[in-house]
Amino acid sequence: MTREIKSVSLDASAREALDLLQKMQISGLPVIDKDGRLAGMFTEKDILSYVLPSYIEKVGRFVYEENPKSIRRKFAELDKIKVSQLMRKEVVTVSEETTLCEAARLMLTQKARRLPVVDKSARVVGIVSRGDVLKAMSQEAQGT
Amino acid sequence: MLKKFVFLIFISLGTGILSRYIGLNSRQALAISIFSASVLGTLFFWDFRLSFAFLGISILLMSHTIDIAHVIEFSSLDVILFLVGMMVLVGLMKDAGFFAWIVGLILRVKNITALKFVVVISVVSALLSTMTSEVVSIIFMVAAVLEICDYFEVDPAPFIIIAVLATNIGSAATVLGNPVGILIAAKAGLTFEDFIIKAFPLAMACLLVTIFVVIIWYRKTIKQMDERIKELGANEILVKLISVPTDRQLKISLAIFGATLFFISLHHRLELLWNLEPNTILMTVPLFSSGCVMLWKWKRARDYIEKDVEWWTLLFFMLLFAQAGALKYTGATDVLARNLSRLAGNSLPALISIVLWVSAIGSSILDNVVLVAAFIPVIQSFQALNLNLHPLWWALLFGGCFGGNITLVGSTANIVALGILEKERKIRISFFQWFGVGLTVGIITTVIVWLALVFVPFYRY
Repeated sequence: MTREIKSVSLDASAREALDLLQKMQISGLPVIDKDGRLAGMFTEKDILSYVLPSYIEKVGRFVYEENPKSIRRKFAELDKIKVSQLMRKEVVTVSEETTLCEAARLMLTQKARRLPVVDKSARVVGIVSRGDVLKAMSQEAQGT
Repeated sequence: MLKKFVFLIFISLGTGILSRYIGLNSRQALAISIFSASVLGTLFFWDFRLSFAFLGISILLMSHTIDIAHVIEFSSLDVILFLVGMMVLVGLMKDAGFFAWIVGLILRVKNITALKFVVVISVVSALLSTMTSEVVSIIFMVAAVLEICDYFEVDPAPFIIIAVLATNIGSAATVLGNPVGILIAAKAGLTFEDFIIKAFPLAMACLLVTIFVVIIWYRKTIKQMDERIKELGANEILVKLISVPTDRQLKISLAIFGATLFFISLHHRLELLWNLEPNTILMTVPLFSSGCVMLWKWKRARDYIEKDVEWWTLLFFMLLFAQAGALKYTGATDVLARNLSRLAGNSLPALISIVLWVSAIGSSILDNVVLVAAFIPVIQSFQALNLNLHPLWWALLFGGCFGGNITLVGSTANIVALGILEKERKIRISFFQWFGVGLTVGIITTVIVWLALVFVPFYRY
C-alpha cells in the first residue's frame, strides 16, 4: 500500500479537489473529517456524474453532437460546491491486517479501484490499489 | 418518525374500533384497520410501503380474515402481468433511443417562441403519457425542458410544472397512461375503445383548458422567455445537441411497439371475433410482445426483467390489491357502499360527485393507486344496489388522475420531476408555489369532468 497519501477535507471545494487530482495524476482521493477519520471518497467519476445531466441514463441511447450549455455552468459551480456534497459516503475499507486475497475479493465484488486502509479509529493510514495487490500477489507467488 | 408511527397505530386501531362500533363484524373491522395502516404507511413512510404491505397481508392471513386462494384471486395478477409486459417494452424503446429521439424532436422545434414551447411541451407530455405511462413520459419531458431552459437561461421550474400538469391529465386518456387506468379497465370490464371514445376526448378538452390556464398563470415567465429568445437568437446548438442513430434496432423496436399499440387498440374487436373472454387480448398483447423482445434480445432479456421492471412497486400493488380485496371478501365494502348510497339519497349524480371529488382530493395526498384500489370494491358493491356503475368508474379514473395535479406530492410524476429539478438545478419548489397553479388546474379540470359525467348522457352508459 501507499503510506504517503494525499487527502482532502470535507469543507474543501470540489474545484480544489479536482485540481489536486489533476496535479497528482490520480483518479480518487480519501476525504477526511476534522478528527482525521475517513468520511468518504472523492473521485473523477463523482465530478463527471455531477457535470453531466442526471437523466442521461434514464433517457436511453443517444449521441451528444454538441456539449450542453449546462456543462459550462456546472463546472463554474465547482468552486462553490463542497467535496462533502459530491463524495461517495459508503466506502469499502481494509485494515493493515487484511489479507491480499480479501482485498482482491473486495475490489472485484465491490467494483473498487482502490481501498483506503484504516486503523481501529477509522483514521486513514494508507491506500491500496489494484496494482499494489497484483504486485504483492505476484511477489508472493514467485517466493513460494 | 416515532410520532408518525404512533399516529399510524392510533388511527388504524381507531378505525377498526369505530368500524366495530358502527356494526361491522370483527373480520370486517380488522380488514379496514389493516388497510388503513397500509394507506397511512404509504403516506408517512413511503420508502417502507412494501414492509407495511407484507406485514398487513400476513396479519390478514394469520387471523383467518382472508385465505391464500383469495389473496391470489384479489391480487390482480392480470394487471400486474400487463404492467410487467409494458415495462419490458418501455425498456426496449429506451434502449433503442426512441425517447431520446422524442427529446431531440422537441429541441429541434423551429422558430421557437415561449408560447409555442408551452404548447409543445403540454401536448407532447400528455400524448407521451397516454402511450407510455406518466412516470416514463415525465423523465423525457423534464430532460427536454431543462436543456431548452438552460440554453435560453430561463428558470425551468414553471415549465416543469406545466409538463407535469399535462402529463397527469394525459395519463387519464388511455389504459396505458396510468396503472389506475388498467386497474379500472380490468375491474370494470372497460375496453381500450371505451377509453378512446369516452376518456380521451374529455382528457384532451381538459388539456386544452389547462394550456389556457397555464398561459395566463405564467404570462410573466412566458414574456421573459420570449425576451431571452430574442437576445440569444435561434436554438442552433439545441437543434444538433443530440442525435439518435436510426438503425435496424430502432426500426424493429418501433415496429414491435407500434404493433403492440395496434393490437391493444383492437383488442375488443379481436376478442369478439375469436370468442375470447373480455380483455384477454388487452392483457396478453404486452406479454406476447415482451416475449418476442426477449427472444430477439436474448442477451439483454434478464436485464429487461431485472432492471426495467419495477418489482418493488408491482409487489406493493399486488399486496395492496389483495388487502383491498379483503375489504370486499369480508363484506366491509358492502356495508360502506350501502351507507354511502344512503348518504347520497340513492342519487347517481350525488354518488358521481362523491366518488369524483373524494378521489380527486384523496389522490392529491395519497398515491392514486392506493386510493383507487380502496374505491374499487366499494363501487363493485354498488352493483348489488342496482346502480349504473359506468359513470362511477369514469369518476374514479379522472378523480384519481387529476387529483394528482393539486399538490406537489399528488402523483409519482410530480415527485420524479421535482427530484430531477432539485438535483440538476438545485431548485426546490415550495408547497405553495405548486399549490396555486395545481389547485386551480385541479379544480377546473375536475369541474369539467363533473359536468360531463353528471349532465352529458353519453357518459351514463
